[in-house]
Amino acid sequence: MKNPVLSVRDLSVFIGDQAVVDRVSFDLYAGEVLALVGESGCGKTKTAEAIMGLLAGDAKNRRTGSIRLGEQELMSMSEAEMRRIRGREISMVFQEPMTALDPVFSNGEQLAQQFRRHRGQSRRQARDSAAEMLTHVGIQDPERIMRSYPHQLSGGLRQRLIVAMAMACRPQVLIADEPTTALDVTTQAQVLGQMTKLGREIGTAILLITHDLGVVAQYGDRALIMRRGKLLENQPVKDLFAKPENPYTGSLIAAARELST
Amino acid sequence: MMAMARTLSRLRQDRSGLAGLSIVALFFLVSIAVWAGWLGQDWSAADGARWEGPGPAHWFGTNVLGQDIFERAVYSVRTAFEIGLVVALLSTVLGAALGAVAGWRGNTWIDGAITWLKGVLDAIPFYLFVAAVAFALRGAPWAMHLAMVATFWTTTARLVRAEVLKIRSLDYVRSARAIGLPGAVILARHVLPNTTHILLVQGTIAFVAAIKTEVVLSFLGLGVQDGVSWGLMLAESTQEVLAGHFGNFIAASGMLFLLLLGLNLLADAMQDALDPKQAAL
Repeated sequence: MKNPVLSVRDLSVFIGDQAVVDRVSFDLYAGEVLALVGESGCGKTKTAEAIMGLLAGDAKNRRTGSIRLGEQELMSMSEAEMRRIRGREISMVFQEPMTALDPVFSNGEQLAQQFRRHRGQSRRQARDSAAEMLTHVGIQDPERIMRSYPHQLSGGLRQRLIVAMAMACRPQVLIADEPTTALDVTTQAQVLGQMTKLGREIGTAILLITHDLGVVAQYGDRALIMRRGKLLENQPVKDLFAKPENPYTGSLIAAARELST
Repeated sequence: MMAMARTLSRLRQDRSGLAGLSIVALFFLVSIAVWAGWLGQDWSAADGARWEGPGPAHWFGTNVLGQDIFERAVYSVRTAFEIGLVVALLSTVLGAALGAVAGWRGNTWIDGAITWLKGVLDAIPFYLFVAAVAFALRGAPWAMHLAMVATFWTTTARLVRAEVLKIRSLDYVRSARAIGLPGAVILARHVLPNTTHILLVQGTIAFVAAIKTEVVLSFLGLGVQDGVSWGLMLAESTQEVLAGHFGNFIAASGMLFLLLLGLNLLADAMQDALDPKQAAL
């Protein structure tokens, strides 16, 4: 098998004396969608923040283990080194599209900022790149969207724009933290569809954090099941539903089936 | 910018706001004219008799030295605007900077130090503090400005700090971190611009407060040292009113009243126009 783009080994995050992420290990390969599934408070988001180096407060310096991006060890990097990695090699999309865009800048300016900052493009080049990026996430009329401001867009459009921003520099890894939880089901399907398609096209590996097994079944290639900070399961998605290894996974699937019938 | 256009159009529909804007604009034009030397230049010339009554030559009469009271009241517009602008600008800039730093580094020792300083300054009775600084620096023409800036920034800082605390936990700030922007850039580009509604309204309030405070301090003899101001005119009038000469009193308090009325109407309208909660989507 080829080498993973992101390799996490024995990652733990402590808040106080408690390990909210407990010796988690997994690999992420180029172009795949790895779903990280678990109930609220099980440590999904903390895992993501630990990888990004964005842990805040008490948890800041309380992570142990190893996080390798290609040949680079992220755990030992300084904040300045991490800043060069973020956005360029690892990007992140957050849950709430309503507050994820700065209300004082037009959508076009915010997206173009990525191209100018990370790729050193001129204002004009950045505009063109931004417009092109928007068509990749399924936005039909990029010119109008770029002229408008965040409050004028629907949740689905905003989230597409945010995905476009995160993917602007063709990162190796995209962490999507419940990117569609705040959206309705139809919009959710469109946004996830565009995001995973774009990921495969440009070879970005996606770590998709969700608590929705339906999403996992439809978009995930492999799935990690997490509970109370520990990984219980690491399987290809089709095997996960066919023969779950852990009883907790079985009960999750049963619960989801019950809800949908 | 879009948001700006929306604010302006909402301001345009507010009648009392427009009235306020017209009054302030008129006073502003007068102050420019005085500053440029087209109006009120004869404020110190004694070209009349003592305590002349109102008439075509002297609209509000003359004072004890035979100086034209209207001319003096007009020249005072410039004094008021100069103090208002300087104090409003400096206290807003200082308040925004310290408030932003305190909020951005919330719950650290920097935040603690700035909040402590605000507490100390706010604990001293306002006029006592301003008077003490003005008294300590007697003779320095900027003593009064300094005293006001030193106390006015705290309110702005407090509001900006709270807003920054809120904004820094919003997803667009987390996103900005997640795409690799350094903290200083995030603060300058994505946090501070989102506090402009506070800065504009606080700036107007500081402007009004500065003009009022100037009058009080000048009245007490701690304010304007050379030149003339409404406060100095009111101080003069205390003796005259008893003797039945109302020129100084009416001219100074009338113009002060009109300007403050205009500013308050404008500040009120701006607060409504800038309030995002009233934004019709």
